[in-house]
Amino acid sequence: MERIGTQVNLPWKIVLQITLQGIKIRLGRALVTLSGVVLGIAFLMNVITGELIKRTVSNEQKIRAEVNLMSTLVGSEMGNAKGKIIGIVASGKLTVPETKLVEWLVSKNPDEIRVCGDIIPGLKPSTSAEIGKDAYLLIIMGADKNLKSSIAELSAGMKQAIVIDTVGDRNYLASDTTGVKMLNMGTAQAAADVNAQAKQKEDTARAIWVVAISLLVTVIGIANALLMSVTERFKEIGTMKCLGALSVFIRRLFLLESGIIGLVGSIFGVLLGVLVPMVAFGSMYGMKLVFGAMDYPLLLLTSFGTLIAGVLLSMLAAIYPANFAARMIPAMALRSNV
Amino acid sequence: MAITTENMNSFFDKAADTTAGEYIIRAVDVKKIYRMGDSETHALRGATMDIIRGEYISIMGPSGSGKTTFFNMIGGLAKPTSGKVYIDQVDIAQLDPYELAWLRCRKVGYIFQSYNLIQVMSCLENVMLPMSFAGVSSEDAREKALEILALVGLETRALHKPAEMSGGQQQRLAIARALANEPAIILADEPTANLDLRTGEEIIELFARLKDDLGVTIVTATHDLKMLKRSDRIVWIEDGLIGKVVTSDELDIDVGQIH
Repeated sequence: MERIGTQVNLPWKIVLQITLQGIKIRLGRALVTLSGVVLGIAFLMNVITGELIKRTVSNEQKIRAEVNLMSTLVGSEMGNAKGKIIGIVASGKLTVPETKLVEWLVSKNPDEIRVCGDIIPGLKPSTSAEIGKDAYLLIIMGADKNLKSSIAELSAGMKQAIVIDTVGDRNYLASDTTGVKMLNMGTAQAAADVNAQAKQKEDTARAIWVVAISLLVTVIGIANALLMSVTERFKEIGTMKCLGALSVFIRRLFLLESGIIGLVGSIFGVLLGVLVPMVAFGSMYGMKLVFGAMDYPLLLLTSFGTLIAGVLLSMLAAIYPANFAARMIPAMALRSNV
Repeated sequence: MAITTENMNSFFDKAADTTAGEYIIRAVDVKKIYRMGDSETHALRGATMDIIRGEYISIMGPSGSGKTTFFNMIGGLAKPTSGKVYIDQVDIAQLDPYELAWLRCRKVGYIFQSYNLIQVMSCLENVMLPMSFAGVSSEDAREKALEILALVGLETRALHKPAEMSGGQQQRLAIARALANEPAIILADEPTANLDLRTGEEIIELFARLKDDLGVTIVTATHDLKMLKRSDRIVWIEDGLIGKVVTSDELDIDVGQIH
């Protein structure tokens, strides 16, 4: 007689085939589940993208305000730039507003802009001894708080001894500044920064809350849809068990189905959740600002993270329905009225 | 008690020597109690019955008699509360889920009153499914499935979906699927109940052919007189116990008395 064996576990490939076939045939049903995932993930991604855009825009606005402030101050001291020589002392790497200030200066067309310290591309390099010669204005910028040369050395030979510093707490000797009109733009900005930071923290906390809620809505939506599809297929599952399907197979079938639906739904959800707020905010703040200033690596990272989260959450939501289906006794198939 | 496949197999070898496989199914004092909260339902109260290899048996009984429960027990679909069920000399209570699935896959072919075909699959795929559960490669399974479809007269319908076919054709497809892994037993639950008279006869004819040509043991639950007449034995289940067992020769007289 034939001996009793142990039922083999079907390879994933065959499970995948059966799953895809099932999705294809029950396309209408799958689409309902799918749209649940799409909406959930789109909502999630929408919140994240909106947050990113707001941060980018406010950052950009902050920079513009800063550049505005600096250029007003510089402009009022410099007057008409025509025929004047401007000296820039670059102490370390320039910040974004400082770079923009340089661009603004160039656009004003002074006779000459010379630079000492670090090199700024496009401007005439000079030395600390010669930077002040015949200059109308000297601007100290850069992230390095320790100036390599003294103010006295730098300002030697200037036509009018006005030195503007972009930061308030750069280190130089007070005795150095005698006979030089020192101005700095750092102090007012520091106070504004503290306020902005507090507001940003508040916004982040609210965003996390909204994201958590939308995650929950997505999980419950998917779990509900899958539980429905298990209930609809009681008879089919029971029949498969009568034909020799293992519980593991049934569990894999449902996990894989929800994984696939989760993946496709998340892709569409992410696309929707990125493009809609981009266009919406774009029409509000200007397309060029939103699309141009967007932090694309971060956007890509969060999109990918949301995609993975979408797939994992779909599979997480399927664990209960899948176990429920797998535990079903095969005799269920015999009940003709199920 | 944990029983490994190894020592169980050696046990069966010994058992096979003594009984020589005369009985394909043996139910010994089978009891089944369903518990629903505090109330208990005694669906089976000690049913004992032996089914001989190659036999065609019909089971009758009013609803609530325990007929379906008995049917589930001897098909390995549920385990008894007490008592023993042997399928091909294997005590099904001792099997783990993997071995039970193996048994359901290869030893028993199930046929249902409402066909229970997988609607999303074609005829061919429905027949191939039990074979893929058994680990048969898809090329081999396809070839064999086509042979079996030819056996039940559905060779031209291989790529059709169940919903595109008549009731009789669907039931023939269900029989083809039950035959996929060459089972020793076919269990059919009211296989002709949803069919008209003529298609019902076709199915009965098919069962008779399977029994004669392939030596398959056929167990049906049925009230179809034509089916009863073709059976070797008819078993009445009453109130959770095996009542009367008659041969089909005795049936004509009995029918007059009972109905």
